[in-house]
Amino acid sequence: MDNIVEIQCEPPVRVENELCSRFRCTKSQCAACAAVCPVPRAVRFVEQGVEITGACIACDACASACPNGAIQPAESDRRLAERMRERVRPPAGFRIGCERAEGPADFVVPCLSRLTEAVLLEPIRCGAERVELLAPDCSGCQLERAAPQWGMVLNLARALCESAGFDADRIVRTDAPRRKREMTRIPLSAPGSRRAMFRAFAKWTAKTAAAAMPDAAPEQTAAEAFRAIVQRHPENPKRSHLLEVLQSLPGAEAQPTVVPAAGKPFAHLEVTPGCAGCNVCETLCPVGALRRRGENGTFALDFDPALCTGCRVCEVACFHKAVRVRETVDLSVLFERQSATLISATRRTCRACHETFLGDASEFCPSCLVSGDRRDAIARRFFLGGNRGDWS
Amino acid sequence: MSEYSPVIPREAVDRSFAKQGPKQYTLWVDIEHCIGCNACTMACKAENNTPIGVDYNRVIEIEEGDFRDPRKAPNVGVTFVPMPCMHCGRPACQAACPVGAITKRKQDGIVLINKDKCIGCRYCAWACPYGAPQFNAEAKIMEKCTLCVHRVEKGQLPACVNTCPAKVRFFGELNEITVLMREKRARSFSISVAGADTKPSVQYTIPR
Repeated sequence: MDNIVEIQCEPPVRVENELCSRFRCTKSQCAACAAVCPVPRAVRFVEQGVEITGACIACDACASACPNGAIQPAESDRRLAERMRERVRPPAGFRIGCERAEGPADFVVPCLSRLTEAVLLEPIRCGAERVELLAPDCSGCQLERAAPQWGMVLNLARALCESAGFDADRIVRTDAPRRKREMTRIPLSAPGSRRAMFRAFAKWTAKTAAAAMPDAAPEQTAAEAFRAIVQRHPENPKRSHLLEVLQSLPGAEAQPTVVPAAGKPFAHLEVTPGCAGCNVCETLCPVGALRRRGENGTFALDFDPALCTGCRVCEVACFHKAVRVRETVDLSVLFERQSATLISATRRTCRACHETFLGDASEFCPSCLVSGDRRDAIARRFFLGGNRGDWS
Repeated sequence: MSEYSPVIPREAVDRSFAKQGPKQYTLWVDIEHCIGCNACTMACKAENNTPIGVDYNRVIEIEEGDFRDPRKAPNVGVTFVPMPCMHCGRPACQAACPVGAITKRKQDGIVLINKDKCIGCRYCAWACPYGAPQFNAEAKIMEKCTLCVHRVEKGQLPACVNTCPAKVRFFGELNEITVLMREKRARSFSISVAGADTKPSVQYTIPR
């Protein structure tokens, strides 16, 4: 039965693998989606990144939590913001309510964890004086595990408000009493029998299975090599939405606001001189925040802090531990869009493998030197009596 | 020098192939009797069709002794140590790969590079203490000894083992080999590297 349900139930959210840091780098420990998902076993980590199973209840907390925007809900953030814009009546305050909250809400979402920073700032962009979140006590709610997510988004939106030169209290949380739960019970005299229901289910199964078959076949033939996929750096829809909103905030003046980077979807990178110019960070960066520039025999790495989501793929992937994420981040970079050059060094071409490398110690690149020398040295030392691992 | 007899009979290889469950295929090299003909290197190149500069198996030549002292008789020797991939129990290359392209197969213990996933970053070459992964500059990916997985799966011996004219390379399951060694009272060693606890599986018998 488990299988039938999983095959038939299309998950209501879509995972864009190219943006998922787990898909791009297997060393990534990102578990933002799984940490907030209120349903057990709805998020599965597989070899191909993340899989959302049919158990998903479409609360979209994972979409809000994913820094890279890899999880895309059925209703995109932009469309949600559009719906919200229609209800804003400036300069009055705007109240966003949880479905469970009792109170006069202008806009109701199923769970507050659906909101992103961009969506929270949308009413302010439209001229609203304040944004209030009507939130009941989340403990005991079935979506309780998603509750920390909206708290984090609220704090981030307040920090962004400050960096825009506004008062942070333009976005606040207001306690609201919890609405009494309405018991939904199947009426005893429901029309139709159980047999009719199963028949309908069987008919629906046959229909959807037949419809799904032709789609599945070409998908397999069009499988692209992983190597080619990671060369692409798609746009992060979440971040581009946020930048769009921040650009058009009325009366915003960027103020330097330094916040700790831990747990936030922003970061600033540093590259130490240990960099070997291997370009792995640029290749694996899901959102294209790093760009390589190479002209006149130099190697330069450009970094756009406004695009960086702090997923730390570059940090964990770098073999030479040359990339470091700074502990603090200045939020005003989101307004200014200045790209920084992290490293600029002379580039040379290896005589053996014709690959480029940094540094001028030899004509051969360090990896060619290392593997050949190592092999010789190890064999010699082994023969002369060292390095003997005894199995027998 | 002890009298030489090939240690691993065909029945032991068949037992290795027939063994069920997780196992570790490996090579056993008798460097006491290796003549350094490099036939294994060439057989490997022919079998795997590798370009120039990419060799899955290389033979390291070690010269020892000297005859600079005219009062003494010259006492020199050359020994050859073939260095294929060690198919480690805990591969350093697998731990270094940022995209998970290197896997160690449970069913036969062979460490393989997935050519579709490899992005050619050469981190495995940095990490491997034995210098086994090789960079293919044409395809811009890493390659290394596969223990001739395409042959082994068909029940054939790896090309280097098949071709060795001195009959010093043998193929088998690690435990089978260890048991045989114990019966013959021969000592075998693996090349361990200080600081890198990778549990290499390839066995060597060295001159006493």
